[in-house]
Amino acid sequence: MTRPDHSTYREWLNLDADGALPAESRARLDEHLAACPECRAERAELFALSNLLQRSSVPVRPDFRQQVMSSLPSAGWESRSPRTWAFPAAVFALLAGVAAFTMGGRGAHSSLLSALTAVAGMFRASAVAGAGLISASWKGLGMAFAATLSSPMSLGAFGVFVLCVNLVLVSLLRRRRSGAAEAGRERSRR
Amino acid sequence: MTQGAEPPTDEELVEAVLEGDRERFGVLVDRYQGRLVSYLFRLLRNVDDAHDLAQDVLVKVYQVLDRFDAQFKFSTWLFRVAQNAAIDQIRRRRLKLVSLRQDDDEGEGRDWDLPSPERGPYGEMRNRERGDAIQEAIDALPWEYRELILLRHFGELPYEEIAHLKQMPLGTVKNKLFRGRQMLKEKLQDFLED
Repeated sequence: MTRPDHSTYREWLNLDADGALPAESRARLDEHLAACPECRAERAELFALSNLLQRSSVPVRPDFRQQVMSSLPSAGWESRSPRTWAFPAAVFALLAGVAAFTMGGRGAHSSLLSALTAVAGMFRASAVAGAGLISASWKGLGMAFAATLSSPMSLGAFGVFVLCVNLVLVSLLRRRRSGAAEAGRERSRR
Repeated sequence: MTQGAEPPTDEELVEAVLEGDRERFGVLVDRYQGRLVSYLFRLLRNVDDAHDLAQDVLVKVYQVLDRFDAQFKFSTWLFRVAQNAAIDQIRRRRLKLVSLRQDDDEGEGRDWDLPSPERGPYGEMRNRERGDAIQEAIDALPWEYRELILLRHFGELPYEEIAHLKQMPLGTVKNKLFRGRQMLKEKLQDFLED
């Protein structure tokens, strides 16, 4: 086994101070430390530094947890359901069951096949309807855009409209920022 | 969910919160509040600001908890959000991270009281000196070392998580931490024997 050089021992000392020294290096480091006063001093300093930094941690206010918990808003994800695949899976199974029931009278194998075909047909119909809706929306948007560009008057009106919307947004943003700053100052006073 | 003596992992707690057990978020708050406040304090240098921002960070994390990817560590995510929030705040307030003395001159107050067993006027003075020296030594570090030192010693993140958070190779993280510590040791030599 080759003997590690001094820089390796220095690296191990740092890892040791972080509690991250692999077990297989521990014995070799201990052996080296027994014979190297310089590394022993380095080790003592590293542990003293870690201790010093740890002691300088800031105590947390006793009511911090309560403040956090009481200020939790209702997050968007709380109202979104279903949150898992259980609900969609149940709906799918129900639809498949209904389809199988309505196609009853045939053999079990063909019933299941028919049910799956029916559900697949239903999804296909939904996809076609969705695609049609998107296509119609794009066409409508295109027509509106063409109408806007058709005359200088309508183009000017559109420009004024965009400007007004921007002004409203900027004023809302400013109000929100000043509200947040006020809240921050209030917290500092508290 | 893990039952019995084993405490639940962060990821299990997140899952429980997402399933509607809001109170479990309190366990995560308990788990991280000390590290988060200390970490933010070293960046912002004000106890009240550190508490306020830590609260904001936890609320923000709660709001987007459903975006947490359980294949990563919750602590990595939390400290990434905290670091970004602190940097934003530093930029907004134009805090200068060069010198505590300079801050005093400009009226930016230092505001902390380090816990210490030392009592009496001399002990308090020594605590104050030590607190100032630690902050000055940290502030004097180049940012690339400082951010890693803070994540390791105050955020208590392991090397692997720091590497993931900063998107650095593990060897680079170790190297920068070692060099950062050397710089701190030199600056804080007088206090290492206390």
